Amino acid sequence: MKSIHLFAATPLIALLAACGGEATSGDGAETPEGPPPAEIAERQDNYEAIGDAFKLIREELETDTPDMAAIQGAAGDINTRLQRVPDLFPEGSSMEAGYDTEALAVIWEDPDGFAEATQNAIAASEEMVAAAATGDPAAVGEQVGNLGLNGCKACHDKFRVDDD
Amino acid sequence: MASKTHSVSIWDWPVRITHWSFVLLLPAMYLTADNSEWGWHMRLGHVLLALLIFRVIWGFIGTETARFGSFVKGPVSVWKYLRGRQEHHIGHNPLGALAVLALLGLTFAQVAMGLFAGDPFDGATGPLNPLVGVGTADTITDTHEWFYYVVFGMVLLHITAISIYAGAKLQNLVGPMVVGKGEVAEGVKGNSETPLRNLVIAVVISVGIAVWVYLGAPGLG
Repeated sequence: MKSIHLFAATPLIALLAACGGEATSGDGAETPEGPPPAEIAERQDNYEAIGDAFKLIREELETDTPDMAAIQGAAGDINTRLQRVPDLFPEGSSMEAGYDTEALAVIWEDPDGFAEATQNAIAASEEMVAAAATGDPAAVGEQVGNLGLNGCKACHDKFRVDDD
Repeated sequence: MASKTHSVSIWDWPVRITHWSFVLLLPAMYLTADNSEWGWHMRLGHVLLALLIFRVIWGFIGTETARFGSFVKGPVSVWKYLRGRQEHHIGHNPLGALAVLALLGLTFAQVAMGLFAGDPFDGATGPLNPLVGVGTADTITDTHEWFYYVVFGMVLLHITAISIYAGAKLQNLVGPMVVGKGEVAEGVKGNSETPLRNLVIAVVISVGIAVWVYLGAPGLG
């Protein structure tokens, strides 16, 4: 993958050299010795799956007849996966430590804040599970904003690399 | 009899500024994305959008060599050119014209996808993202994430072609794109004057559209 990146960037190498920088991921810290903690890939896969499940719910809500069984399955999946989050952030597996991750060091500098953000997300996902169980698309729709803003976005804004 | 040449204007300065801005902005777009600098990625993306729109408008109301009508020719012209039966004129040759269309078209496609890309709950989101459904936005985002290979592939082809022209001493294509002037055979006329009123029109429209898009295209959807 990296070699393809470099190939695609061939015309830019002169410019990059002129800038005196190189196209590394993260903030340019040295990559640590040894393989990265397995939890980094695990949590990335976990969040990818959460994102996919959340998109599935929102896509279903855009249809005329949302598949409530699919929504319930996705909501349950999000809840289960969010509960794994606390185990997926071993100390030092941050972007600042040089790993290819968007997890900021503030996660470990403010462990209470991160735990609270995680709990908020889990709580929001439980409300989503409950809304899905009612079989009412409108109730699920109300929970999309709750989970998306108070669960996903609130945590991203503080603990993931800056977006904007 | 040795052929005489004389120096004439070939590219107007708006074309040159637009061209070299692309040279700076395309790597910048790649680097800002690779380093998660999404604020800059989106701001520069809108500058790129304005430049692309400007170049298209300028292709209709700009100087002679900037106009699509003067350089976009059919396949017959491309074939004749490749066979070496070219006419003497300034501006893009029939092959270069194809490169211009491909570069502008592919870059525009990539920028347009970026405007719809993202997820409001998951980081950077293009200003037009709310106009499409979640699934559509997801597909666009995935495509946007690999399509830069296509854009840079075309850039590579473009640079390769120019290098071949330079290496085989066929033509110095870079010089005129920098200074605007170039040596042409006696009797070949230079480019037309830059129409300032049209320039103002093109700038106002392109910047206006880019700003409107940046604000989420109010009034649309």
